[in-house]
Amino acid sequence: MFDFFKKKYSNPELLAELQSRQQRWFVFLDRLEARMEELTDAGIPELQQVFKEDTDPYKRSHYHMLLGLMGQFNNMRDKANEVKEENIISFIYSAEAALPPVTSPAGSEYYRYVHDFRMACLDRYHLFDDRLNEALEALRHAAGEQDLESAYQQELAAFEKIKDQFTCKQCGGNITIPKMFFIDTYIPCPFCQSQNTFSPSTAARMVLHNARELAEQRTAELRRAYESSRPQDPVLYKKYLRAMFDEWNRIVPDMAGENEKFYQRLLEEYTFNHYK
Amino acid sequence: MTDDNKKRTASFLEKLRQKATTQQHYGGGVPEEEAKMDIRDCPNCGAGRAYHKGLTSCAYCGFAFMNITLTDGIHIRKENNS
Repeated sequence: MFDFFKKKYSNPELLAELQSRQQRWFVFLDRLEARMEELTDAGIPELQQVFKEDTDPYKRSHYHMLLGLMGQFNNMRDKANEVKEENIISFIYSAEAALPPVTSPAGSEYYRYVHDFRMACLDRYHLFDDRLNEALEALRHAAGEQDLESAYQQELAAFEKIKDQFTCKQCGGNITIPKMFFIDTYIPCPFCQSQNTFSPSTAARMVLHNARELAEQRTAELRRAYESSRPQDPVLYKKYLRAMFDEWNRIVPDMAGENEKFYQRLLEEYTFNHYK
Repeated sequence: MTDDNKKRTASFLEKLRQKATTQQHYGGGVPEEEAKMDIRDCPNCGAGRAYHKGLTSCAYCGFAFMNITLTDGIHIRKENNS
């Protein structure tokens, strides 16, 4: 009536299988991590070198190389996910399906073994995932920051030198460029009113391209203060964002109107589903 | 790290670097150019374009410099339509 004489459930093969799978999973992730470390250690100096030698103003060679390396890391993550789904998660479901009910003493004991196996394997996976993200961050920041401030100051000085050196192509009268332009702009001749087109130099165009990054560099302290606050403080975020956009507008005043719309959008995105 | 692994990684990185540095950039290279001033005269009558007469057509012969209606931009405003 109470199943006193029924044979107790025992499944040593399952226990052995759990242990063996766990070991194989750990070894597999260890190997991936070793490969990850190899690639990071050897890849960072290569990335720095390519960045230094890259003459393209947008540093596209460096970017291609960075993407190639990141692709390798993402493949590792995909591979680990695939193995986890096929050999850990599927196995857990099939093992649990064959166990006695969890309400029975034996069932409860074996469910606990499977649960321990699941937690050990997933914890190890999360550790791998954290290390992979750290490695990706290290690659992204390997080249360091460009010195945009001195490039900007050089451009300001260069503009001061050239702003009075242009003449009207129609009448030959002197034209003074009223302010620093970063894109092609019509400048009317003060004498004959002809519409001249001023094309800024490549370096001046790059100021517009790098303006946000330069503003970010100038306000890095405020961003770090926000990022290191726990819990993250919305007031600090707003302070950082306002300061960053003010700097950005100071560098490229012509874009202030557009930037303000972008600022409002970022603020709304930050407060969406949060609190104001 | 074994020597074999080191060699394999070095060879992979060498190939990657080679490819990254010799690959044609999307949109081509960026030539280093100095600031310059240019002008576009009317190809029909040779007259210059005057700011107060608008940018889209020649004030003298009506030649259309562009077949669009200008809208407000960074430096160009809709008032610049001829």
